[in-house]
Amino acid sequence: MSTTSKSSASTTAEPPARRAGVVATTVAALAVVVVAVLLWRGVAADPDNGPVAGPLVGVMTLVLGALALVGWRTAPRRSWRVVDIVVAAVLGVALGLVFTVWNLGWSPLSNALEFFPPAKGLFVGVWLLGGVVGGLVVRKPGAAVFVEVVAAVVSALIGNQWGFATVWYGLLQGLGAEVVLAVLLYRQWGAVAAVGAGIGAGVVVGVLDTTLYYPEFSTGLKLVYGAGAVVSGIVIAGLGGWALTRALARTGALAPLASGRNAQRV
Amino acid sequence: MSPLLSARGWGWRWNARRAHAVQGLDLEVEAGERVLLLGASGAGKSTLLAGAAGLLDGGPDGTGEAEGQLLLDGVPAHEARQLAVAAGAGRARTGLLLQDPQAQTVLARVGDDVAFGLENHAVPAERIWPRVDAALDDVGLRLPRDHPTSRLSGGQRQRLALAGVLALQPRLLLLDEPTAMLDPEGAAALRDVVAERLAATGAGLLLVEHRVDLWVDLVDRVVVLAPGGGVLADGPVGRVLAERGDELAAAGVWLPGRAAVPAGRVRPRPPGGAGEVLLSLEGVAVGRRGSGAPVLTGVDAEVRAGSFTALRGVNGAGKSTLALAVAGLVPPVSGRVRAHPALVGGLAARRRRRPWGSPPPADDPAGWAPRDLVSRVGSVFQDPRHQFVAQTVADELAVGPRRLGLVGEQVDLRVAELLERLRLDRLARANPFTLSGGEQRRLSVATALATRPRVLVLDEPTFGQDARTWAELVDLLAGLCDTGTAVVAATHDVDLCDALAGATWWVGDGRLRTEVPVSAP
Amino acid sequence: MSTGLLDPGAVRPTVLARANPVAKLAVSTLLAVVLLLSVDVVTAGTAVALELLALPLVGLGVRGLLRRSAVLLLAAVPVSVLTVLVGVDSGAVLLEAGPLSVSTGSLESGAAVGLRVVAIALPGVVLLATTDPTDLGDALAQVLRISPRFVLAALAAFRVVDVLAEEWQQLGLARRARGLGGDGLLAGVRDVAGRVFVLLVIAVRRAAVLATAMEARGFGAGERRGADRTWARPSRLRASDVLVVAGGALLAATATAAGVAAGTWQLLLT
Repeated sequence: MSTTSKSSASTTAEPPARRAGVVATTVAALAVVVVAVLLWRGVAADPDNGPVAGPLVGVMTLVLGALALVGWRTAPRRSWRVVDIVVAAVLGVALGLVFTVWNLGWSPLSNALEFFPPAKGLFVGVWLLGGVVGGLVVRKPGAAVFVEVVAAVVSALIGNQWGFATVWYGLLQGLGAEVVLAVLLYRQWGAVAAVGAGIGAGVVVGVLDTTLYYPEFSTGLKLVYGAGAVVSGIVIAGLGGWALTRALARTGALAPLASGRNAQRV
Repeated sequence: MSPLLSARGWGWRWNARRAHAVQGLDLEVEAGERVLLLGASGAGKSTLLAGAAGLLDGGPDGTGEAEGQLLLDGVPAHEARQLAVAAGAGRARTGLLLQDPQAQTVLARVGDDVAFGLENHAVPAERIWPRVDAALDDVGLRLPRDHPTSRLSGGQRQRLALAGVLALQPRLLLLDEPTAMLDPEGAAALRDVVAERLAATGAGLLLVEHRVDLWVDLVDRVVVLAPGGGVLADGPVGRVLAERGDELAAAGVWLPGRAAVPAGRVRPRPPGGAGEVLLSLEGVAVGRRGSGAPVLTGVDAEVRAGSFTALRGVNGAGKSTLALAVAGLVPPVSGRVRAHPALVGGLAARRRRRPWGSPPPADDPAGWAPRDLVSRVGSVFQDPRHQFVAQTVADELAVGPRRLGLVGEQVDLRVAELLERLRLDRLARANPFTLSGGEQRRLSVATALATRPRVLVLDEPTFGQDARTWAELVDLLAGLCDTGTAVVAATHDVDLCDALAGATWWVGDGRLRTEVPVSAP
Repeated sequence: MSTGLLDPGAVRPTVLARANPVAKLAVSTLLAVVLLLSVDVVTAGTAVALELLALPLVGLGVRGLLRRSAVLLLAAVPVSVLTVLVGVDSGAVLLEAGPLSVSTGSLESGAAVGLRVVAIALPGVVLLATTDPTDLGDALAQVLRISPRFVLAALAAFRVVDVLAEEWQQLGLARRARGLGGDGLLAGVRDVAGRVFVLLVIAVRRAAVLATAMEARGFGAGERRGADRTWARPSRLRASDVLVVAGGALLAATATAAGVAAGTWQLLLT
């Protein structure tokens, strides 16, 4: 999961930074292995999970981590231009305002769902839009993380019921989307990539929410909540984000960016 | 000595554009020269300024494709920018000021914002602050360094951006319609500051501006770019304006001493309007949303069929807020906006539902359901993009009629009529956001007309428009008044008020003063 | 020209308030990570108590703090109640109604979860309330050496918050002016989706102009030539910042020690 945490440091790709890039990749690879082993042992330790669950989770983490690392290292390594960075940042700010609107709507919605709390997971997708839209619009390694983090910071700065924790959520949700885009080697930017990124972010938010806010739910309820979050990630963040990006491209606003460069000429 | 700026067969095509913005341009600007760049919309004036600022870099990851050469002191412009930064002296060859004051503020505090460019140019920290203070002083912004930029007016923001540019001591100032989005006072203040700084530093000027009348005394050479590429005319101001006046006027350039409205098109309007009363304001107070405190109280006025009303006053006095209340978009803080029977018509009980209390009275426009509102009162916002809701121009025009319950041919008929009337037929299938500023303005007016409202409320309809779009708007609004529509426009535009010669509502000091012209021209 | 959404409020300049933002960030991160490790009422309760004791050092008046943190209860209280009702039961069952049940065990976990949310969020409230975004940006770029291009672009983008917030309101009015909107959930959802779309279009266009303005003032031109930008506002760590971090570490250690001593501390996932 930590493969992309060096987002800004290693994207600028100057020659002196190459060694730092190798070190970062090595550290990230080690981190993937450690996380995989921990997950394997953690899942296997619970007798309810059956004999295959542990190895399955461990191996899947290893494979995904390795793929993400390959994607990160082989990404079309052109550095971020100023316009990419500024558009990503302002996009993050705009989505942060959308988050704020959603934060306000969340309390009544959340109260209305009190009869079956795990269903709340179905509505987290709006907060995952930053990773998907950011990744698809800017098309640079690290864009998903950057946009989602900026959006989360704005949401926290304006003020919401979760305070600064929002920023950590943003970072990890962005990473969830980023890993999927990295696994796709930063070469896929269509609906599949969008849905994948939505799933990645949905898994992260499912894990975070059940760890931080609902740690005392039974495993079954946690799984229902997580599944809801993933579905929300697919529909709202994934398909919704994809549709938004396409509509944006049609307005000509994305012309300065990689996602709008080959748009229909007008 | 080589010229400061020289273009040799230079051209640029933006990504996702078929045509070149500039092509085959040959131009030389000597140090200290003051040049006004003119040309029709789309002739590539802004592109040339961006190129001179060193911001256009072709290549595989660039924003477009370049051809030919654009040199600053003999060095390609985009390299010159990087060399200036690497030199670490905090001196840029060019400084660029853009149109939108809101979009150029970088940091939260006034001093930090000016320091931004100096930091980028690697000026040592201890040398930054004296230069920041000097630059703020030069543009007449005598504010503490930690004054929040969010509290500046548009004119102040534009002067702040200019301070950020001047702090880098550029030898050539590039101004891209710097006053298009300012009120008349702000525009004059900016022009004076620029004049004063040019005199003091001897820097050159390359200016793009539609409102020639404001700047004409400041420049000594005019270059007219041809839409297809190349230079159409080049020479001293007086000669070029005299020789090319008609062409320039047709291209939308505001020329000194030349009326923008075709003679004979505008007929005098009966003062106050002889038509029936459509809307009346009774003790209305309006306030900004959120803060609650009213900015304008005790407003009594009426809007008559076929009248033109200009809503004027300084920024922040409550013009736009009052316009929103007249348009039935925001309820007044107190008092009421009453729709008269002539406007209400056969409005049934279909009103905006409220979960509490009784339904609002049928004569309260703010209480009407959106579809009832648009067939009675139309609104045109300052930024046309705010009102776009569809993917093509034709669909955009069909939205309103469909909301009224029209179907099939009736909708097509209205759409076709408006497309033709506002010269949008060629663009019927285009995405509204891809249109030029003037086209967007025409489309936003057309969308409001599609539902045939009897009252049309506009917020700064002529803001930032070239002379051609301006004349078309005046023509259109005059035609509307003639056919019985009441037009209310919040505006700074003196020419618009003169051309339509209606009543004026002056807003100021929390009050409204009505003024009817003594005699119509 | 009203107060911006992100303008910081008035703060008394105490040691904590004036500490380097990176130090404050470190403290809130440390507390969040340590408190995440276990769900127990003693650790979380001790942390909240200690944080409240440290408040006079922060420089926020009691009222200012209440105003900023009251909204936290919106998240903490429902989460506690939920955990009490649906959480895994243990100990004596006190109440039962269908799938919902209240037991001594779930009451305790409810309190623990709620307190933990508050304990994690409070340092964040202090960080946000006492830190100017510009200072945070300076510290991130100069102390943590995060790429200045990204930090400054984010700071510049924050200037757009107020403009976009205003645009959001205008977009709502403009849709009514187009005859759209009305009653019902579906209309509401379509309304919001339409506004989000136009907001993004305007945001991206504005960003392109902002990028032009920033580049024209030399932003991002030096990096590839090895010329680093300078900083008009130097930000570095001082001895007092080390003290602040040490204080935070002590707080986290004390809370965990209390939990361990009480026997309630248990590492998550084991």
